[in-house]
Amino acid sequence: MFSLSLSIQELLKNKGIEVKEAHLDVLEARWTGMQALRGNLEHVKIDDADIGVRNIPGGDHIE
Amino acid sequence: MSKNLIDLAVEELAPLLENKSISPVELTKEVLAHADHTEPQINAYMDIYREDAEKSAKEAEKEILNGKYRGMYHGIPMALKDNLYFKDKVTTMSSKIHKDFVSNYDATVVAKLREAGAVFTGKLSMHEYAWGITNNNPHYGAVRNPWDLDKIPGGSSGGSGAAVAAGSSVASLGTDTAGSIRIPASACGIVGLKPTHGLVSKYGCYPLAWSLDHIGPMTKTVKDAAGLLEVIAGYDKNDPTSANVPKENYLSKINGDVKDLVIGVNEDFFFNEVDSDIDKLVRAGIQSLVDQGAKVETVKIPTLQYAEWAELVTSLSEASAIHDTDLKKRPEDFGDDIRMLFELGQLPSAVDYLQAQQVRRQLKQDFQKAFDKVDVLISPTLPVAPNTIGEDFVDLNGKQVDLIDNIIRFTGPANLTGIPGLSVPCGFKGNLPIGLQIMGPAFSEALLLNTGYALEQTKPLQGRKPNLLVRA
Repeated sequence: MFSLSLSIQELLKNKGIEVKEAHLDVLEARWTGMQALRGNLEHVKIDDADIGVRNIPGGDHIE
Repeated sequence: MSKNLIDLAVEELAPLLENKSISPVELTKEVLAHADHTEPQINAYMDIYREDAEKSAKEAEKEILNGKYRGMYHGIPMALKDNLYFKDKVTTMSSKIHKDFVSNYDATVVAKLREAGAVFTGKLSMHEYAWGITNNNPHYGAVRNPWDLDKIPGGSSGGSGAAVAAGSSVASLGTDTAGSIRIPASACGIVGLKPTHGLVSKYGCYPLAWSLDHIGPMTKTVKDAAGLLEVIAGYDKNDPTSANVPKENYLSKINGDVKDLVIGVNEDFFFNEVDSDIDKLVRAGIQSLVDQGAKVETVKIPTLQYAEWAELVTSLSEASAIHDTDLKKRPEDFGDDIRMLFELGQLPSAVDYLQAQQVRRQLKQDFQKAFDKVDVLISPTLPVAPNTIGEDFVDLNGKQVDLIDNIIRFTGPANLTGIPGLSVPCGFKGNLPIGLQIMGPAFSEALLLNTGYALEQTKPLQGRKPNLLVRA
């Protein structure tokens, strides 16, 4: 648990961001929560899916 | 007459203004006086433009008296969310960092409303940088829900929701990146429309997350929202994401007829882990549409289970990129809650972000398949009722659950896919109004508004008003 907090702290420090000590537990919990939400994405067929960075409503290939 | 003006919707006020039964000056004075009464209780305004509003109201009065009536929003006093640029006015995004920022141009939506003759009464508070759902702002104080002053009004457009519900702004605009129009609309018992991505220009709106942001109406009634959308919709060359589609007359398409409407219900996601009272109210709302001739079909949207992850990775990454420099140089000037979100947004990898965009593409296809079978999808707007100000957890059928994780669950998918979503009131849980969300294919706003209107005709708010509307 502690080492994970450190790694988040170090990761952010390397990007030039100083994190408050009080934030570390929350950040760790939220990051862990996000990883859990990711679930078993590896088993979902998104390999063929293009990316939708530009948000064109109704599909990305409107004629 | 004048004592009741603040109770009226735009659709009721507009004919009175057009036929000169009331004047914009009289209406503006009444709204400003009412804001003076409600503001100590709800704190919705960042700034009141008293002199400017009175001057604009006089100009509107002069035009109307001279027979130059511009349309439904001519002479209507309204305040807008504080991330929309007004020329030569301070636009703070309810932040400390931008507390003195003055734009030298109007946002496109502001310019369009100015052209329509609206009277701007001021700027409305928001969750700092639009990145949160409580509107409990560390720099400018919490906005309170007019229905229960101990509860949040929702966010990030909490000032807009509270002011419209309280009558201190006749209508308003909000912005929506994961639900920030629909969440406060639901919490405050008003109508909130997140239009199709690209239908309303975002030029002059400070971004939260580029690919997810939208601007839309927050109003007392569905017809008010339709009229406001007519004013603000349309192609804008200044916004690269603007859609070049024909303008529609949304108001003329509202007739309340839902006889051939097919409503899609997704039990697996949109009715899973929902407060039992909210579940009942939304199902009763669907039944009221069925009673009017609509049909219900069950639909599956498999990728929805990954939508919240994709929404979070996308919004956190994009928002964090926008605030990257300030996060490094002056982190202490952010509120703690959003500072942590920006810090969190530095953690996803490029792989995470790109996979989130792949999920997003798949989700669009899944929604499209659903809309091949049904006309609209109906869900609760929120799975839980608004929480008490200052609490991070909220009750879900006796279980304490994380507020942020739960409150955007049902609204975020429409931002990821760009499809429109409308929140309309469907009843009360105790003294708090509850919203029902109607989603449809891209550019189906007319259909959503007509469906919302049919529900509105069943009078789900039963004529009730927030208690603070009573003035001595």
